[in-house]
Amino acid sequence: MDMLILKKDAVNEFLASLSGRYTVWAPVQKDSDTVFEPFGAGQHNVLDLTHQAKIIKHAIFPQTEQLFSFDQNDQIQEAIPGDREQNILFGIRPCDARSFALLDSVFAGDIPDPYYLVRRDTTILIGVACTEPFANCFCTSVGGNPCGRDGLDLLCTDLGDRYLVAVFSEKGTELVNKTASLFTKPSAEDMKQGQELSHRAERAVKRHIDLSGITDTLARIFEHPVWKKITLKCIGCGICTYTCPTCYCFDIQDESMAQKRGRRVRVWDSCMYKEYTLHASGHNPRPTRVERLRNRIYHKFKFHVDTYGVFGCVGCGRCITLCPVNEDLVENLIAVKGAA
Amino acid sequence: MTNPYLPEKATIVETRDETNGARPIKTFKVVLEHGRVLNQKPGQCAMVGILRVGESMISIASSPTRPEYLEFSIMKLGRVTSALHNCEAGETITIRGPYGNGFPIEEWRDKNIVTIGGGIGQAPLRPIVQYVLDNREDFGQFDIIYGAQTANDLCYKAELLALQKRDDLKVHLSIDMAEPGWQGFVGFVPNNVLRIKPSPQNTIAITCGPPIMIKYVIHNLLELGFSERQIFTTLENRMKCGIGKCGRCNVGNLYVCKDGPVFNYATLKDLPEF
Repeated sequence: MDMLILKKDAVNEFLASLSGRYTVWAPVQKDSDTVFEPFGAGQHNVLDLTHQAKIIKHAIFPQTEQLFSFDQNDQIQEAIPGDREQNILFGIRPCDARSFALLDSVFAGDIPDPYYLVRRDTTILIGVACTEPFANCFCTSVGGNPCGRDGLDLLCTDLGDRYLVAVFSEKGTELVNKTASLFTKPSAEDMKQGQELSHRAERAVKRHIDLSGITDTLARIFEHPVWKKITLKCIGCGICTYTCPTCYCFDIQDESMAQKRGRRVRVWDSCMYKEYTLHASGHNPRPTRVERLRNRIYHKFKFHVDTYGVFGCVGCGRCITLCPVNEDLVENLIAVKGAA
Repeated sequence: MTNPYLPEKATIVETRDETNGARPIKTFKVVLEHGRVLNQKPGQCAMVGILRVGESMISIASSPTRPEYLEFSIMKLGRVTSALHNCEAGETITIRGPYGNGFPIEEWRDKNIVTIGGGIGQAPLRPIVQYVLDNREDFGQFDIIYGAQTANDLCYKAELLALQKRDDLKVHLSIDMAEPGWQGFVGFVPNNVLRIKPSPQNTIAITCGPPIMIKYVIHNLLELGFSERQIFTTLENRMKCGIGKCGRCNVGNLYVCKDGPVFNYATLKDLPEF
């Protein structure tokens, strides 16, 4: 693995030099939120986050995505993104990068999804190490790490006036080679500082839960009253799913346009809504919020494990921070463990 | 990479009213563009759609032994199925599929077959009926147990009444409540199963219908001595993608669209939510 140094005052030049060939998504301040947007000239990027940025899942898995369009004669026009649309996600945190590694196995599989996979393949992920984890982060409890490399091509660790850049992939190597003049070799001191920060970051994660054996526990307590108890507060708003980097459920809808043209789109959907599973007959296999919240926890901590061997959660904590009624996934998992 | 979301065009060549009333059922006979054959297995499904309206997952109600057309029996309920009910012969619809695992019907050679259906649940069982009839010498005794709320709600009524006249199978029809002129059994399908008492000896039982009916049919089959492995069901859940991505049709960690819709009861009984 290559290690390099990129001076902070060279970051804008780095991004500007790439923005011709790539659409560079970087975090910017918008009202009280930090959001990822395509990079433009003179844009001020916020990399020293004081609070967690909004998810960036939409760069590869858009909230609304056209599958195909059709004209007045019903001629169908495919809308798979082309190879020419190259993207860079700059400043992504390791948990969010890891979420793409999880989504990869879902959208690949025995029937590959070309929309996601093409965009994923043409996107380079440049992370910024989470040297100061946020209040509800619990990445280390679900197999992640604030300085983890899963899903990333490059990882930048903040050393004050410069970044220590770790190169993990061929895509990452190509990228730094294209802008080689901006990078220098790190000193032994830089390497040491990077390692210390990484160790400190791991210790700085504030929330923890021991999830060993959780899938076995879940296998035993499907009908336990704990599900009703932890659902009492839930208002079914679905924000936990819309702000979740690993949620991928979608709906497919047709939209009519002028002159009998139209398009078929897929849009993010949420398992917290009753319409999500409602049968045409009126029967609903998950009729109340109890079954729906239970399914969400089972999906992430049992079903995803059964199918893919890893938790379907990266521990970013957004569902906890952003829940309007303080549903707390870590607290809920503790309650679930206690029910066994 | 092929695009699994792209539908292909198909033409409706014939429509047939199966039932009328509040929830009418129509059967659509369909051929794919350029005469392409879908090569489905009995028990598989397809996304049937209309551009500008949407798609619904519908079980294929015809057998691959009759490859010259596909049939779909569709109850008018939601936006897509209502729009389909307005379609006539000659109109173009879209098809995606086939999806799902289908019935392991080749493994059922030389066995007795009993299908147990309720309401629109007879549609996914119909390919078994056609397949067994088209390969009659490959199977043993054949029983079709089927019921609906009223005589008017029986799907494939003319077809089943015609089959009742044959001596190489038995058709047992029922309705939930007594009606003037009804000759068959009156009562729920699970009760008719108990009355008919199909022998579990070398028999495969396949059931489809409302979820509550499936549960009691399985309960009664177990009571009659059927083992879990001898019982199959085919499930339906709300679906959008058909390829195990969109999330909503899961039963436990399995997706009805991809890992189902056909489940052996030995597998199904261990899944939560069933």
